[in-house]
Amino acid sequence: MSQLTVAPKMPLGAFVRLNPWRLFPASLVSLAVGAVLWELVGRAADVPFFPPLTVVLARLWEMITSGLIVSSLTQSLINLALGFAISLSLGLLLGTLIGRYRRVEAALGVYVYALLTAPSLVFAPIFFSVLGAGRSSIVGVVVMYSVFIMIINTASAIQNVPGHLLEMGRAYGANEWQMLVRILLPAAAPMIFAGIRLGVGRAVTGMINGEMFIAVVGLGRVVTQAGGRFDGASVLAVLIVIIGVALGAVTLVQVVDRRVTSWLPKTSRGNE
Amino acid sequence: MIELRGLSKTFVGRDGSTVEALKGVDLDVADGEFLTILGPSGCGKTTLLKTVAGLISWDSGEILINGSPVTGPGPDRAVVFQAFALMPWATVVENVAFGLQLRGVKKSEREERARKLIHTVGLEGFEKKRPGELSGGMQQRVGLARALAVDPQILLMDEPFGAVDEQTRRLLQEELLSIWEKTKLTVVFITHSMEEAVLLGDRVALMSARPGQIAEIVPVPLERPRSSDVHALERSKDYVEITAYLWDRLRDMHEEHRRETEAAAGGVA
Repeated sequence: MSQLTVAPKMPLGAFVRLNPWRLFPASLVSLAVGAVLWELVGRAADVPFFPPLTVVLARLWEMITSGLIVSSLTQSLINLALGFAISLSLGLLLGTLIGRYRRVEAALGVYVYALLTAPSLVFAPIFFSVLGAGRSSIVGVVVMYSVFIMIINTASAIQNVPGHLLEMGRAYGANEWQMLVRILLPAAAPMIFAGIRLGVGRAVTGMINGEMFIAVVGLGRVVTQAGGRFDGASVLAVLIVIIGVALGAVTLVQVVDRRVTSWLPKTSRGNE
Repeated sequence: MIELRGLSKTFVGRDGSTVEALKGVDLDVADGEFLTILGPSGCGKTTLLKTVAGLISWDSGEILINGSPVTGPGPDRAVVFQAFALMPWATVVENVAFGLQLRGVKKSEREERARKLIHTVGLEGFEKKRPGELSGGMQQRVGLARALAVDPQILLMDEPFGAVDEQTRRLLQEELLSIWEKTKLTVVFITHSMEEAVLLGDRVALMSARPGQIAEIVPVPLERPRSSDVHALERSKDYVEITAYLWDRLRDMHEEHRRETEAAAGGVA
């Protein structure tokens, strides 16, 4: 009887295939409209903090040819890579422990949830005074931004592994390590990756905010300096680069995700 | 040889309510015997099977296998689950070889054995498929092959064909019979179908609910091997009489349960 409720899926799929709107790549249309609006509003407003798109792109080109973007971007990517790597390792480790062991959850859960909702930038001055005005402080901020969401997602992914798989593992004699590596982690992988995707976005935010606060290296420093000069075009030019970094990082995670969870049926991936 | 002595298990709910899933169950299963356990839903048949599998604990009594007490899962027993419990990320070969992988058997060796059993259950050509690409019946063949792969003495089957359609179930029953006839396996098979219990079992242990007890053990004197002509067997006098008798008993149990529920409801009003 429960099969009846599944039936409406088919016509819906058929509708999506026939829908003429699918012929236009919606994202490209939307980007083009956004670019035109930006240009028009920028020209009409004529204020220094919101220059039209063409002015921003011209400034971006200047910054690229002068080498400023490449050197700052390299620094920022190093901050991002280090911070995200630490976050990912901690996120997987602590998330698995919290998800699997009640006691660890009882001990650490409250901190993780508190720190997830706390504004992560408040830790910047602490890192600044403890670690000094250097890369370690920025990496610390990146970790604070991205680690908690990955811990929480990994923990609930582990907790949501179907009980019948755990029972099967026990019945066939899996020890605790085999249970983790052979059953829990593979079964939890799709949801863990959802958390990693959120985490990588927050890591990019943390990188920029950290660099803006501890303005010694990276794209964030360029933003802070340009902001100090009321140079709206430079700020927006760097913003475009930052968006590029974020999209690149998320795409990278998606590529890995699809390789690891290639067993998932297409229908259960949702809209991406 | 499996011996259950005075096995009792009570589940306590979060609200403090209790359900006596098993009460003083005594049961012997001989080596090489095919025992089916039949009962109304909620009578504790699955609980019984899972205690023998070593998956859940019990309150009192004991379970002996070849004279040694059960303390947990062991390599002498393999379980076939109602919900298949296959790993959706792993291929058919990897699923079948899983028990051997856990025991540290080399990859080439365990996959060779897995392929043999995939052949036994009639799934050759599907080795590289994943469970999501298979029908329910085919998934349970994988579950059966996985159990056989670890070369157990005892096969514990928890309503294994309950989740597949009628036609597939009949095919699977015949295949299980012919596989079992070629091995010396002891099988404990849970079902809620009288026909399945009689077709497969040497004896049918009839369970009653609340508390879960063995109400009666009904021998099935049908000739072996049965896999060759299931159709004729289902028309035989013994088969028809035993299934009818089991249904009579089950119907009484359901009737009694209905009266008790009504009495309880009346008492409250």
